[in-house]
Amino acid sequence: MTPGTRRILSAFLVAMVSLGVLFPPAARGARDVAAELRREKGRLLQMKEREEKTARELTEALRKEKRSKGRVGELQERLKRQKRLLSRIDRKVSALNDSLERAEKAVRELEAAHGQARTDLLRAEVVAFAGQRAGEGDLWRPSDRERERHFMRVYLAADAEGVARITRARERKEEELTGLERQVAVTEKKRTREKKVGDSLLSRQEAERRRLAGIEQEKKRKEEELKSLRAKIARMESVVSRVERQVKERERRARKSAAGKSTVGEAPRRFASLSGGLSAPLPGKVVTRFGRQHDTTFDVTIENRGVEIEAPSGASVKSVGQGEVAFAGAVSGFGNVLIVQHGGGLFSVYGRLDSFLVQQGEAVKKGTVVGRLPGSPSGKSVLYLELRAGGTAIDPTSVIPLDR
Amino acid sequence: MSERPSLLWIDWRLSRDPLVRETIGRFLYFCLLGFALLTLLLSGGVSRILADRYAITAVLRAEVPSAEAEGLARKAAALPQVRSATYRDPEAAWKEFLRVYPGLEPLRGAGENPLPGYIEIRIRPDRLTGEDVDLVASALRAVSQVERVLAGEEWLPRLLRAGRLASWACWGIFCAFLAGFFLVGRLQERARAVALASDFAFLAERGVPAGRLAFLRAAGAAISGFLLAAAGTAAGGGALFLSLREFPFLERVIGPPADLLLPGTVATAVLFSIGAALLCAAASLLGWSAARAGRK
Repeated sequence: MTPGTRRILSAFLVAMVSLGVLFPPAARGARDVAAELRREKGRLLQMKEREEKTARELTEALRKEKRSKGRVGELQERLKRQKRLLSRIDRKVSALNDSLERAEKAVRELEAAHGQARTDLLRAEVVAFAGQRAGEGDLWRPSDRERERHFMRVYLAADAEGVARITRARERKEEELTGLERQVAVTEKKRTREKKVGDSLLSRQEAERRRLAGIEQEKKRKEEELKSLRAKIARMESVVSRVERQVKERERRARKSAAGKSTVGEAPRRFASLSGGLSAPLPGKVVTRFGRQHDTTFDVTIENRGVEIEAPSGASVKSVGQGEVAFAGAVSGFGNVLIVQHGGGLFSVYGRLDSFLVQQGEAVKKGTVVGRLPGSPSGKSVLYLELRAGGTAIDPTSVIPLDR
Repeated sequence: MSERPSLLWIDWRLSRDPLVRETIGRFLYFCLLGFALLTLLLSGGVSRILADRYAITAVLRAEVPSAEAEGLARKAAALPQVRSATYRDPEAAWKEFLRVYPGLEPLRGAGENPLPGYIEIRIRPDRLTGEDVDLVASALRAVSQVERVLAGEEWLPRLLRAGRLASWACWGIFCAFLAGFFLVGRLQERARAVALASDFAFLAERGVPAGRLAFLRAAGAAISGFLLAAAGTAAGGGALFLSLREFPFLERVIGPPADLLLPGTVATAVLFSIGAALLCAAASLLGWSAARAGRK
């Protein structure tokens, strides 16, 4: 059975349950129904147990997912911090390298200046020595000589101070350079360490992401499973409920039939005797038949109280006979439903309509267009048609000429 | 009434020609001595030379502004021992320094001038003594703007001692020339007394006492000596004046020509003339005595 068919059958099952309230089915053997009811209840119980287990597993999966997401988030945060830290370290390394370069240049310049200053000082000392020797014993200008000697001492002291200043500056720069080199080494080491930490965090994050993906897959699977189970359970509960109602109804009818005569065989004749007769609501092929059918999806036997006619999408739906619109509205499982009362306890039901072209209480004739089928990508839509006489569903194909 | 000839100028009448020669010689000699005397007086021996060579240098602190330094120089110049005080700013000091050590200029390049400004203080020649120099140096050291005072404490005593010796030597030479003048004058007087001995004997026979004759001759020599010395000194002074005007650099060694007219200089010249007169008189008496002793 194709999934489409299964869906249709499921819909029928629901429709039966819904319409069963309005139009209860004919009586059946009480023993068969009771056995079927027990069997269905047992299966329902099993499915509920499975649902509980799946729900627990799903809860566990959600908890794991939450934990894993938390860990991933935490790792992401740590990675961000790590990246920021690495960026800061990179900037610091860059700045330190710039400072290092500048300091090296300054040291080179100071070394050159120091060499030049020392050379100048030595030359000045030579000049001073020569000058002193030349002027030694010059009594003719004693004061001038004394002043010149003093100024020469001042000059040499200034030069020596200049050399000392450059030496101190060079030493300071060299110390600074050493400090910078040490800082660069420490920062590089720290960078390597932090890079390792970052790599480790990244790999941990990847592992956690893979784990999370696995958990999410598991969660999705469990959710789908749970959803499917819950749908099945809902349907099953509906079936069970319907069967229970059927059982009750049968019991009631059995009691009623025991009291009066049966009118079952008269229903088709009553429809046939309608003024003007009956006509097909639209040209199409019957794709779901009336009566007991076996649902392979749920492995259950269901009873169809109408037929489904496949027709082109958007096709007009006509009233099968003269009467009055008793109901036009949405019914769960059947979409938009229109019920025409033909009088004498005869009703025709049109389900899965897209729109109504008549209103409740409006009189219709045979062939009056009452609604339209919905559109679909496949170009085909299905009309649900049910006929009831005195509360009993009859096979529409027995009174209306339909293509099977 | 017959005119009695004066014995004061007896030599002039008895021996005119030699006496003219002697007088001319003495005048020229006095010119020389007067020139030397005035030169020594003005220069103070070698004091002016030393004072020109010697200077106290007050090295100022680097941060002292020029205006303040110049004010300080003016205050230093006002000290009684100080002849002049000149402020030289660091730029001038640097230029002077580079003139002395031209080899340093290319070494310094664009470097800043390391030398501070200084004040050069020159002492008056007559106050160039250790005590006065110490006073000035102490006064300068007490000034906060002065970083160091270069007063030549190590060599100044030797220099002053050498200066004193040189001055004494100069005065000694002058005195030697004066003594030479005296000796030569005595010999001339003696020779003249010997040459005029017969004339003096004739006068003695006519009742002129020998003592009176000797006294009057000595008085005449003194008067002529005074006049000759005064004239020679004046001539020497004039020559010195003209020399100083003509050669101004001599002022640094000798002194300004205006100092010739100072009362002290004039008084000294007068005293010198009197002294020369006394020497002439003494030479005349000693020459007379020597001639008399030789005749006996």
